[in-house]
Amino acid sequence: MKFKVACASAFAFALAAGGAQAHHSFAMFDMTKEVTVSGTVKQFQWTNPHAYIQVVAKDSSGKDIEWSLEMGAPMYLYARGWRPSSLKAGMPISATVNPLRNGKPGGVVRDVTGADGKPIGTNR
Amino acid sequence: MKKAVAVALITTFLVVTGPAQSQNAAPSETRTEAFAELPYWPGYWVSEQYANTTIGGFAAPRAAAGAPLQRLNGFDAPWNEEGRRRQAEAARTRGGRKAMGWGYPMMMDAATPLQFMITPEETMIVNAYGEVRHIYTDGRPMPAAEDMWPTVWGTSIGRWEGDTLVVETVQVQMPYTYFHGAPTLSEEARYVERMRMDGGRLVVDFTIEDPVTLTEPWEVTINQVREDAFDRMVQMDFSNDRTGQENGINTIEPPEEPGGL
Repeated sequence: MKFKVACASAFAFALAAGGAQAHHSFAMFDMTKEVTVSGTVKQFQWTNPHAYIQVVAKDSSGKDIEWSLEMGAPMYLYARGWRPSSLKAGMPISATVNPLRNGKPGGVVRDVTGADGKPIGTNR
Repeated sequence: MKKAVAVALITTFLVVTGPAQSQNAAPSETRTEAFAELPYWPGYWVSEQYANTTIGGFAAPRAAAGAPLQRLNGFDAPWNEEGRRRQAEAARTRGGRKAMGWGYPMMMDAATPLQFMITPEETMIVNAYGEVRHIYTDGRPMPAAEDMWPTVWGTSIGRWEGDTLVVETVQVQMPYTYFHGAPTLSEEARYVERMRMDGGRLVVDFTIEDPVTLTEPWEVTINQVREDAFDRMVQMDFSNDRTGQENGINTIEPPEEPGGL
């Protein structure tokens, strides 16, 4: 399973720029880029102020890399059809994220799909 | 036999005196009438700024033609020299700072749903972090100065003017200390809110006075809108702020090990 950097998307930037920040600024994320992280769930943190998905994905050299994928607060995930049990360790997922600006393996989640290619929850 | 008598005596005592809180309760009929006159603000409310927040924590974009929403973050407050100094210090130190919750007043302009529980004696406002405001509407005055007890949610006294709840709040510990996006008001700030329904919105008009940091009263209006996708209030503590900073840029800190699943 590999991750790929999608082309910079003017649409993604416009979408992000129009929204409000939540508990912290989104300036730490590059809203002009979307990255697809495909890997295996290591841990799903259903926590305040943010939920996080820890995903292990292989880089271009085949090395395992652990990504920290930030989400909104659990109440919002719940409202969009997510549950604490939506992700379990070992589950394969694919997540579209805006990556961290500092190049570290992390980002803020846009969408998540399961092994069947179907979105988890209502996503947006 | 002795035990039975003792139980009877205790029961009689409890029936006569009741729990401490109800000793001064109004007659039930009067209270029922008072209850019936109060507004009912059911549901779960979020600041309009955060309506329809996505799983990533992004609020839905607003129409460009819409009037900009007012905020409680203090960016446009009428700061005096001390207020500007504090704001500059906040801007310098905000990066990578962790928060402990929203606190007051920011919980009234937050991406965390609120619930309003209205009774004749008190209105409670609770959020999904377990933060609670107790607003006493039983006619009591603000506690005397020697009884004040500063907290991050302050001390509130309220009264009803028709369908408008008027709330005075004092003794709020410096909001910026608790949450890095809060205004840099002092503990001497006095907050007056007027809360009322206007169509589908719960409108909260703030007037904030602070002799330490403001040149004049700061007036802000925050609209609360219902988030219908919440079917109940689920409270969890604020325990996993992984915001960090590296080389001057915010980042996500690694998870604590082990944990979670």
